[in-house]
Amino acid sequence: MEILESINWAILAPIIVIQLILMAVAIIDLIKIEKANGPKWIWALVILFINLLGPIIYFIFGRRS
Amino acid sequence: MPVVSITGLKKRFKEQEVIKGLDFQLNEGKCIALLGANGAGKTTTLKMLAGLVKPDSGSIVYEGGEKADFRRFIGYLPQFPVFYEWMTGREFLEYAGQLAGLPKAEAKDRAKDLLELTGISEAKNRRIGKYSGGMKQRLGIAQAIIHRPRLVMLDEPVSALDPFGRREVLELLNRLKKETAILFSTHILNDAEEICDEILFLHGGELIESGTLAELRTRHQQAKIDLVFKANTAEYAEEISLLPPVSSMEVNGDSASFLVNDIEKARKIFLTEIAQRKWPLVKFEISRTSLEDVFMKVVKK
Amino acid sequence: MKQLVTLFKKEMLEMARNFKWIWVPLTFVLIAVKEPLVLYYLPQIIDSLGGLPEGAVIELPVPSAGEALAASLSQFNTLGVLIIVLITMGTIAGERKSGVTELILVKPVSYAGFVTAKWSSSMMLIWFSYFLGYFLSWYYVGILFEFIPFADFLQSFFVYGIWLTLIITIVILLNTFIKSSGAVGFISIGIIIIATLLSTSLSHLLAWSPALLSAYTNTFIIGGNFPDELLPSIIVSVIAIMFSILASIAIFKRRELA
Repeated sequence: MEILESINWAILAPIIVIQLILMAVAIIDLIKIEKANGPKWIWALVILFINLLGPIIYFIFGRRS
Repeated sequence: MPVVSITGLKKRFKEQEVIKGLDFQLNEGKCIALLGANGAGKTTTLKMLAGLVKPDSGSIVYEGGEKADFRRFIGYLPQFPVFYEWMTGREFLEYAGQLAGLPKAEAKDRAKDLLELTGISEAKNRRIGKYSGGMKQRLGIAQAIIHRPRLVMLDEPVSALDPFGRREVLELLNRLKKETAILFSTHILNDAEEICDEILFLHGGELIESGTLAELRTRHQQAKIDLVFKANTAEYAEEISLLPPVSSMEVNGDSASFLVNDIEKARKIFLTEIAQRKWPLVKFEISRTSLEDVFMKVVKK
Repeated sequence: MKQLVTLFKKEMLEMARNFKWIWVPLTFVLIAVKEPLVLYYLPQIIDSLGGLPEGAVIELPVPSAGEALAASLSQFNTLGVLIIVLITMGTIAGERKSGVTELILVKPVSYAGFVTAKWSSSMMLIWFSYFLGYFLSWYYVGILFEFIPFADFLQSFFVYGIWLTLIITIVILLNTFIKSSGAVGFISIGIIIIATLLSTSLSHLLAWSPALLSAYTNTFIIGGNFPDELLPSIIVSVIAIMFSILASIAIFKRRELA
């Protein structure tokens, strides 16, 4: 696990925080909206488990406009 | 002074001529029903009046003249109004008011008043996405009148509502009559009769009848005599229909209706004939044909 | 003018309510900042994936600061452009399809104002997101590699921003006469791809093409100089933007809105 030590966490932390904010906002939105573009639980999986892109995919395709 | 004058209005969608030439005027402060069966061209007519559909030919001239933006004189509610679901009812009304040219403070006041008037002020801070059909219809009426237009056009405002909602909206329209001219489309004669002074009767893209309710009644109403016999009504009816005052006859089960020209004469003749022949009369009723009968007659043709 | 403010405020409110003001900037930050990070950690990443087979020698040249920043720009040019198209493709078409415009445009609303509000609100969201992402990428490049002069950053920011503006404007233009937002998106992407492919393969003939602005910006970041063709390219872009806005308004006025 050398790689974990060699990484400068001060640099990476903001990225992780951003990722977490995106996830949180997407989940909040998913809970609040009346109907998603498809089953909500699938979107929840997408948001939580597709790294980096999950929340973005949800915002673009998951909200029924 | 008419609010709007329509002459020679025509519209065709692809192969089908939907509006085949309309001419009429709408006067200030009147409530007019645009009556017709589905597919008669009511929605297309209203959309052309609202400027959403361009007529192929003919003209629509509002009182401000052709150059002025007529949209400030009119309010319009489509048959299935769609709102910004993410706004609250109050926000939408204030937005609509400001777009219609009201200053912000006035838009706020008007929105508040109209939320009261239409009975949705409890839900004013809820997102429109959560409104029921009836609430949306009432919000739709509110947004149509927020800028106090001279003419409000409503497309089938009560058709999608349950009896309760329909009652409320009709009462709302009755109150509105005092403030503005109303043109509303419907396929239900009762609704038209209930709140309107005038009827425009549209069928197959043409105006086949128009006028005030009283005019229409006298023009189309005929005296009617209904008879019921103990038995064999059809047989007796057949013979009675040969009597001079009868212009037409219809038998429905054990009752028969006769349209007659001269009610006094007809009554005398009917009763003497029946008495002389000793027919077993059970019921004798004099009435008049309703507009409904006229409406049905035309639509069935 | 007052009405324009009302229309514009509504767009802003909508973007706040559907969280666009949060997720679009953050997404732009992610896709921009990812590049210098990956480039910087590439040797470790390869190592952690099992390293190189023994005996294999791959020279990984240490990228320059300019190359790292340019990598962010190229992300904007693919993923960024895609996101821009996806979030603006329904801005008018969607409202028209749903039927809200039947309520809005029956009010005495200026058609020019309506289109302008749509355009300027999209511009604001995207320029803000683009600035945030690009700025942070510049900052990361500075920390991980070396700092590029801020003036250079600004120049490249504005030049490439012209191309993004043109894209936004084209999407809005298509919105005024196509009712399906899917079709708007598809055609926009098509136009962008064709313009880019044509301009890069025929760059000697189409040196003025707006689609080359990203290439010119790259050259500038990496080499320090803009090519001479930059100016005609900017002029053509600005003309195209102004023309598209005017066309949008003119088309929107004439359209049947039902």
